[in-house]
Amino acid sequence: MSLPPVLVILCFIGGPILLAFAFSIGFTGGPNKIVSLIGQEIYKANNWWGTFDAYKSVFNDSRFPGDFKTTLLISFGATIIVITMALGMALYQRIIGGRLAAILVYLSLVPLFVPVVIAAFAIRTFYDGTGFFKTIFNQFGVVFPTLTLTSWAVVIGTVWTSLPFALLMVSSGFQGIPDALIETAQDAGASFTRIIRTIMIPLASAQIIIAATFTAIGVMGSFTVPYFLGANQPTMLGVEIANFFGAYNRPQHSVVMAFVIFAAASVIAFVYVWVNVRSAKQSGRI
Amino acid sequence: MSRTPAKLNLRSRSLISKILINIFIIFMAIFILGPLVWLASRAFVTSWTFPNLLPDGFTLKWWHTVIGDTSLLKAIRNSLIISPIVVILSSIICLPAAYAFARYEFFGRRFFLIGIFAANAFPKIGLFASIATLYYTLNLMGTVLGVIIIQILGTIIYMTWIPAAAFAAVPKNLEEAARDAGASKFRVFRDVTLRMAMPGILVAMVMSFLSSFDESQGTYLVGVPTIYTMPTQMYALVLNYPVQIAAVFSILLTIPSVILISVARKHIIGGQLAEGFQIK
Repeated sequence: MSLPPVLVILCFIGGPILLAFAFSIGFTGGPNKIVSLIGQEIYKANNWWGTFDAYKSVFNDSRFPGDFKTTLLISFGATIIVITMALGMALYQRIIGGRLAAILVYLSLVPLFVPVVIAAFAIRTFYDGTGFFKTIFNQFGVVFPTLTLTSWAVVIGTVWTSLPFALLMVSSGFQGIPDALIETAQDAGASFTRIIRTIMIPLASAQIIIAATFTAIGVMGSFTVPYFLGANQPTMLGVEIANFFGAYNRPQHSVVMAFVIFAAASVIAFVYVWVNVRSAKQSGRI
Repeated sequence: MSRTPAKLNLRSRSLISKILINIFIIFMAIFILGPLVWLASRAFVTSWTFPNLLPDGFTLKWWHTVIGDTSLLKAIRNSLIISPIVVILSSIICLPAAYAFARYEFFGRRFFLIGIFAANAFPKIGLFASIATLYYTLNLMGTVLGVIIIQILGTIIYMTWIPAAAFAAVPKNLEEAARDAGASKFRVFRDVTLRMAMPGILVAMVMSFLSSFDESQGTYLVGVPTIYTMPTQMYALVLNYPVQIAAVFSILLTIPSVILISVARKHIIGGQLAEGFQIK
């Protein structure tokens, strides 16, 4: 019964990924033939094990180091901010609760309702040269920096769009911790920070790590947010993949970059799977 | 969302922390709602000259422009037709699999679950570029079917994982009790298993609809210039139309999400979404 989605995935995800990998190492025949004819600067393999010339060409491109660094920095920075905010709000909601906590949580879930394209465009106009802060600060004669088309705007947009999922995940982890445990620790004289450090965080660690890895992977391959908000150069690799595929007509280069992101994301994905398996073992599910 | 949180007499009772929390709420309100309000207000103004605090005038003419523009209307129609089809097809493909993942221990079960996740770790835009290559060969470029397949791909992870967790959460002995009471296998599935798993399935369907409704990268690569949906039309709007038109369009594009998530809000916040993203 699990066959249909597996088949769809094999045909339309696994297949293209394998084809793309073959293309990236210089196999330009079969289904890759048309794109090899259309594209420019295609490196062809003339042996059976392929060639890494396309990879060399990408790595030697003067723009690549900047793009790669930007992608990693933004993914890392945004993930840390998202998880810190989610942790703070989820802990506040779990330990103190009340009306203010509810307001905070509902505010943070608003991005769930908004399509990413709209969000990116809204944030673009909010922080651009005639944006909200520019307007407000102008009344006092202060020049507020224009954030749109900088990496800061990409981080803002990424945090905005990633927050709801992380918060839901982290807060579901904290909800699973029994009240009795927290109260006992408190009766025994444990301080607020101690309760958080030694009880709350460790018991919800699986959910926290799942939230972090999912956020990081999502950001790494993102396109819409950096496309609307980021600088032209250096930009995130997601945007560069689209540029190389479309505007520059270098499909092989774009595929190589996709594999670079995939390799980086796989490292994170491995952590995710490991955490899941570990937490399943601990709770006796396997 | 909070199930009777432990009322602890921790430091939070002090005045300073109350003030700090309120400042943080104001910060979050500006951070989250600010851009939306800022953009939405553009839909009702003639123009807004920097650095004035108030717009130059109010008007509804942008709404008339959008409603009178056939290409924009066509994009709205396409979106409203394609997304439901995607959700239905995705349910047909994925729900049986979700049930199998939850109920049967078969060879390669965990491998496939992780495989679905790993596929998700491959950058979408790179995947779409590769699929476009395949589409040229299969003649799916610029077709509705091509767009539908692209959009189904984004829904698979929601449609298998969340319902699988929901099916797994239905107690087996409840099903057995119903069987003992004389209910047929089908009846047990329909009245017990499916009914109890429904909140999870509903969340999966809402998330899938939104993922399809919001999908822009793949649809743009495969559909344009023959098929425009609302999000891909947004790309064109941002470049070629005044910001007010994009604002009107943004409001229209957000309405379905708001309605759908409000319907499923209780379950999404109740943990069905979070529950679904843990491999079991």
